[in-house]
Amino acid sequence: MANEVLIQLTVNGTPRTLAVKPNTTLLTVLRDHLGLTGTKKGCELGECGACTVLLNGKTANSCITLAAAVSGAEVVTIEGLAKDGELHPLQKSFVKHGALQCGYCTPGMIMSAKALIDKTPAPTAAEIRDALGGNLCRCGSYPRVIKAVGGWKEYVGERLDTKPRVDDERDQARDHAVVSHGVTRYDAPDKVTGRALYTGDLRLPDMIYGKILTSTVAHGRIKRLDTSRAKALPGVLAVLTGADVPDTRYGVSPARYDEHILAKERVRYVGDEVAAVAAIDEETAARALRLIEVEYEALPAVFDPEAAMKAGAPLLHPEEARYANNINTRVEWNFGDVDQGFAEADLVREQRFVGNRTHQAPIEPHASLARYEHHGEKLTLWSSTQVPHYLQHMLARTLGMPQGNIRVIRPAVGGGFGVKAETTPLDFCAVLFSKATCRPVMMSYDRKEMFYHFRGRHKQVMDLKIGLKKDGSITAVRFKSVLDGGAYTSYGVVTAYYAGSMLPTLYKLQNYKYDGFRVYTNLPACGAFRGHGVPHPRFAFESLLDMMAAELGLDPFEIRLKNAMRPGTRTVNALDISSCEFVQTLERARQESGWKEKRGKLKRGKGIGVGCGGFVSGAGYPIYRSDFPHSNAIVRVQEDGRAISLAIAAADIGQGSDTVLPQIAAEELGVPYPWVTMVECDSALAPIDLGSYSSRVTLMAGNAVKMAAGKALDQVLAAAARRLGCSARDLVARDGQIFVKAAPTLRIAWDEAARLAFAQNGPVVGTGWYRPPAELGGAFKGGTVGTSPAYSFSTAVAEVTVDLYTGQVQVDRVNDFSDAGTVINPVTFHAQVEGSVIMGIGETMMEDTQHAKDGAILNPNLHDYLVPSIGETPEIHTHAVESYEARGPFGAKEIGEGSLLPMLGAIANAIYDATGVRVTELPITPEKIRRGLLEAAKRPLCDQSPPDASPEPGCPS
Amino acid sequence: MEICDFTLHRPTTAAEAVALAFELGAGARFLAGGTDLLVDLKQRRLAATHLIALDGIGELKGITRNGDTLEVGALSTMSDLGDSDAVREHAPGLAQSAMSMGMVQIRNRATIGGNFSAAVPCADTPPICIAAGASVRILGKGGVRTVAAETFFVGPRQTTMQPGELLTAILWPVLRAKSGASYQRFARRRYASLAVAGVAAQLSLDGARIGKARMALASVAPTPLFVPAVSKILDGEKPGAALFAKAARAAADAARPITDMRGSAAYRRDLVETLAMRALEQALANAGQRP
Repeated sequence: MANEVLIQLTVNGTPRTLAVKPNTTLLTVLRDHLGLTGTKKGCELGECGACTVLLNGKTANSCITLAAAVSGAEVVTIEGLAKDGELHPLQKSFVKHGALQCGYCTPGMIMSAKALIDKTPAPTAAEIRDALGGNLCRCGSYPRVIKAVGGWKEYVGERLDTKPRVDDERDQARDHAVVSHGVTRYDAPDKVTGRALYTGDLRLPDMIYGKILTSTVAHGRIKRLDTSRAKALPGVLAVLTGADVPDTRYGVSPARYDEHILAKERVRYVGDEVAAVAAIDEETAARALRLIEVEYEALPAVFDPEAAMKAGAPLLHPEEARYANNINTRVEWNFGDVDQGFAEADLVREQRFVGNRTHQAPIEPHASLARYEHHGEKLTLWSSTQVPHYLQHMLARTLGMPQGNIRVIRPAVGGGFGVKAETTPLDFCAVLFSKATCRPVMMSYDRKEMFYHFRGRHKQVMDLKIGLKKDGSITAVRFKSVLDGGAYTSYGVVTAYYAGSMLPTLYKLQNYKYDGFRVYTNLPACGAFRGHGVPHPRFAFESLLDMMAAELGLDPFEIRLKNAMRPGTRTVNALDISSCEFVQTLERARQESGWKEKRGKLKRGKGIGVGCGGFVSGAGYPIYRSDFPHSNAIVRVQEDGRAISLAIAAADIGQGSDTVLPQIAAEELGVPYPWVTMVECDSALAPIDLGSYSSRVTLMAGNAVKMAAGKALDQVLAAAARRLGCSARDLVARDGQIFVKAAPTLRIAWDEAARLAFAQNGPVVGTGWYRPPAELGGAFKGGTVGTSPAYSFSTAVAEVTVDLYTGQVQVDRVNDFSDAGTVINPVTFHAQVEGSVIMGIGETMMEDTQHAKDGAILNPNLHDYLVPSIGETPEIHTHAVESYEARGPFGAKEIGEGSLLPMLGAIANAIYDATGVRVTELPITPEKIRRGLLEAAKRPLCDQSPPDASPEPGCPS
Repeated sequence: MEICDFTLHRPTTAAEAVALAFELGAGARFLAGGTDLLVDLKQRRLAATHLIALDGIGELKGITRNGDTLEVGALSTMSDLGDSDAVREHAPGLAQSAMSMGMVQIRNRATIGGNFSAAVPCADTPPICIAAGASVRILGKGGVRTVAAETFFVGPRQTTMQPGELLTAILWPVLRAKSGASYQRFARRRYASLAVAGVAAQLSLDGARIGKARMALASVAPTPLFVPAVSKILDGEKPGAALFAKAARAAADAARPITDMRGSAAYRRDLVETLAMRALEQALANAGQRP
C-alpha cells in the first residue's frame, strides 16, 4: 500500500518492526496488525479509556495515538500482564473482588491501575479514583474496582481459585453447597486477561467490512440516490440501498413492524439508515459512504411529542391510518372508580413531571459478523446481542430463510441494558453483504452511530394525580403519560404499557386510571432500557408522594409503609404478587440508614431521601406469540463423570448469568461449581432461550437449568443406587459425593456413579424447560404486559451534599435494601445493585441526549453525554432482605432492573431535603437546582447579590 | 474511524519543523500529544495533508528556571507539569490547572503547547498563565517573538500565530514571596469532562494589602479572558469578603458566555461569580502561606 512507513515498537517485551500507514492509530496496530484484541475499542475519540495501554510506562488512549508518531516506544497491553501462565496479582484481585461485569472496560481499567501501582504500590481510595477517572464503566463496577486495586497486594503469590472472598461469601443462611455462595465469576479470568472475545474482536479469513450511510435530514423523501461513485471506488465490493432490501418490514412487536432494513422512500430522523457499503477495510467503506449522493425533499418535521399529537402535525407514517395524529400506541386503563376515590381523599395533588432521553451507552458498541454459506443456504451470525433467539427469528422472518438455517452465536457482550435487545440494520446488512460477496462481513457502529441508532429511554411527559387520606392511604391515582417514541416503534408498545402497569405493584391502589400515548416524533427511535418504561413514572410517583406526605405532616417512610404491597395480592390491574418483602425493605432501610437521626436534622446543603421501586422477574408472555417454553437447557455429564456441560442460549451481557446458571446446575447436581462448563451460546448447540430482557434470566433460565440438572442427576442416582443396593430416593448428592441420607458413610463418588450410568445406559443428558404459569394477567387490552411469575421490591435511601452556590450535587451514601428472593450469588447480586445505584445517579442528574433544531444530536459522544465516572461513586451499602420466591429456582427472583427504580426518587427527594428545591424535570442538573435556590430567594440567576461573606454552615465554599 | 491520508514528518529541531511548516503550507499541521488534533481529524473538523510530529525535538521539552522566569517547554505534558518540583514550587497554579484536566490518559499526552495552540475556549491552562502574567514564545520564519499570554488568543481556535509559526515555550514569572494563585473550575462530571466555567486568580500581598491581582476566565468567552477590571478593584486594597465579592461581580460582568448544552449563559455568569470568589479566597490563603 502506498505511503506505508516502517516503525519499531516493543510490545509486551517483544520488539516488532511493522509497516503501517501514517494515519494508523496505535489501537489499530495492536488489534488488527498484532491481533491483540484485549485492548478495546469503545469511543475512538479518547473519551472512555477502554483502549488504555501503557506507552513508555504511562497510560495513553491508543485510539488517539498515531502509531507512526510513537515509533520506538515501549507498549504494554493487557496481554502483557500475565507472566509464565500466572495472572498478575492485580488481575487476580479483580477476579476475586468481582470487580467487573461485562468486562469490556476491564482491560483499560486494569492498565490504568497498573500504571498507578507501579508508581504508588499502596494507593489510597482517592488516588485510585484519580488514576481511573478516565476509564468509564457502564456496569458501574467502580466500588469493586476501588477495592480490587486497593487490595491487589493480597494476591501476590496467591493461587487463583473460584472460592468466595470471605466478606462476600454468604448473604443468607440456607444450607446450600454452591447457591448463595459468592463464587468468582465464571467469565472473570478471561475478561481480566483480554482473552474474552467480543464480536468486534473476531477475525475470519477473507473478512470484509461494512458501513451504513444515514440521513442528514429529520424528515424527507429520497429524491435521488446515486451510488455509482461509491461502487467505482477501488476496494468497494458491494453497495446496498432501500431498493436492494426486502419489502418486509421488521421491528420488535408483531403488531407494529414499521422498519425497513434501509429506508425505501422516506427518512424519518437524522440518522435513519439509508444505504450501506461493504469494502476490503473499514476505511475504504467509510470513504465510499461519502461518495454516495443523496438528495432529499425535506418534509416538515416534529420533535415534541405533545406537538406531534396535535391535529395538523406532520405525520411520520401517513401510509398507516392507524397511526392517526402520530399516536403509535394508546393505552386506556380504568380500574376501580377514580372519581369516587378522589372524592374520598383529604388531599389531592396533581403535578407534571418530565423525563429525559437517556441512552444505554454500553462501552462495547454494537457489532455483527455474518458468514453466509452458499452450500445449503446457511448462515452463521455472531452478534453482540441480548436476544440471540429473537435475532434468529427476525432474520428468518425478514429475509425469508428457514429459522433452522440461521445459526446465531453470542460471543461475550460488553453491556446492553436494553439497547442490544433487538435486531439492527447491522445484523441484516452484514448478512446481505455476505450473501452478495461470498465473504464474511464485519459491521459495527461507532459511538456516534450508536447514539443515532439510539433505542434509548422514552422521554415521558407525565401528569400524575394522587388522592390521599389524612393517614396517608392512597384513595386514587390518575396517571397520564405522553411518551416520545421517536421515528419507529421498536419496543414502544410494551414501553407504553409498562409505564402504567408497574405503578400498582408497589403500593396498593384500588382506583387507578392510566392514559398512555406513545407518539412518533422525528427523533431517533426509543426502545427498551433497564427498568423499561418504569423509571420516569416511578420518579414522578416517589416525588409526588414525598411532596404530599410533607403537606400532611407524615414521614416519607410512614406513608410508604401505609400503602406497601403485601405478599399474595392480586393488583388492581390483575398482576399476581407472590412473594413480597417490601415492608421488610422499608423497615430495614429506615432502621439501618440512620433515617431518624438524620431526616430533618441535617444542616442546609445536606439531605437524605427515600425512594422505592420494583420490577418483573421475566415477562409472562413472549414478544411474538408462541407456545414454546421460554427457557430451555441441556445438561450433559461428560463421560469421565467429572465435568458437566451446560448448554443454554441465555445471554450473559455482564449481569452474571454465566455464573449464576452453572451455580444452579452444580447445586442441583450436587457437584462442585468448577465442574460445570458453559457451552458457547450458540443456537446450533443450545435450544431456544428468549434472552436477557425483562430481568428474566435468573428465574426462567434458572428453572430450566435446575430441571435439566435434576433429570441428569436422576440417571446418576439410579446408577449409584444400583451399586449401593438402595433406592435412589434414599440418596443425596452434594460436593461430588453421593451418599445414603440415613447412613452417610454408605457412599460413592459422584464421578464414579456417573461413569456407571454412562456404561449402563449411554449418554447422561438432562433436558429442562421453563414456561411461566398459564393465564397470567387480566382479560383487558394490554393485560399481558407487566405479568410475571414474581416481582422484586427495593427501597433505597440516598444522602447528598449540595453546593448551594453552584447547584452541584454529590451523592455521599446510598443504602439499598432489596427483595430479590434467594440470592444465588452475593457477588453478582451486589454488583448489579451497585451498578444500578451508579446508573441511577447518571439518569437522575447527568444524562440526557440533546437535540438541535434540525433534529441532530448535540452530544452523541461520551464527553458531553455524561455517564458517571468513578468520581461519582458514593459509599454504597447493598443488602438482600430475607425472602423466598416459590416460583424461582431455589427461591430466587430478579435484581438487575428493579434495583435501578428507587434511585431516581431517592436522589430527587434527598436534593429537596438538602435545598428545598423540587425539580420535576429530569435530569436534575446543577443549573436547575441553582435556579431553584435563587428563585426561592427571589433572585434571578443572572442578577444576584454578592455571595454571602460568611456562608451558611454546611455550604462548601 | 477513518483519518485522512497524510505524510508524517519527524523533524529533530524546532527550526527544521518551522521551515517544513512554511514550505508545506496550509495542509500542514504540528502534532504534539495529538489529544485534540486526532479527535479533530477523526471527526473531520480538520483536514491535513502533512503532519509534523514534534516529539523528536529535544529543545521543546523540559522545564528550566532561568532567573526569575520558568521556561516551560511546549511539549511539557499536563502530567509533566503536575509532577515537576520546579512547577509545583514556582508555578503552583500551573500545576493545579494542569491536573484539573480530569483524565490521566489525556494528561499524559496533552501538552501545554497544544493546549495553547488549539485555542479552544474551555482550555484549562491558559487562564492561570494569563493571571500569572506569563508570556508565550513563538518561533517563526523571521525568528523568535514573545507575546503576553492575554494577547495570544484571538478567537475560538484562533491565535496570533501565523500559519507555520510554532509555540516553543511558556515563560512563567516565578511566583514571588507572599503571592498565591488558584484555578477554580466547574464541570458536571468529576473526571473526564470539560469545564463549564473556570476562573484563575493570582495575587500578591504587600503587608496587609493586596499588591497586584490578576484574573482570567475559562469557557465563558470566545477566548480565555483576561479581566483587567478585577485588578483595578483589588490592587492596593485590603483583602476582605466584600472586596472580593465586588471583584467577583466584575468578573461575572466581564464574562461573555454563550448558552450551549453544558449550561446557559446566565448560569455560566453565575458560576463565574462563585468561582471567582473561591479563587480569590484560595489565592489569598496560598499567598499567606508563602513566606
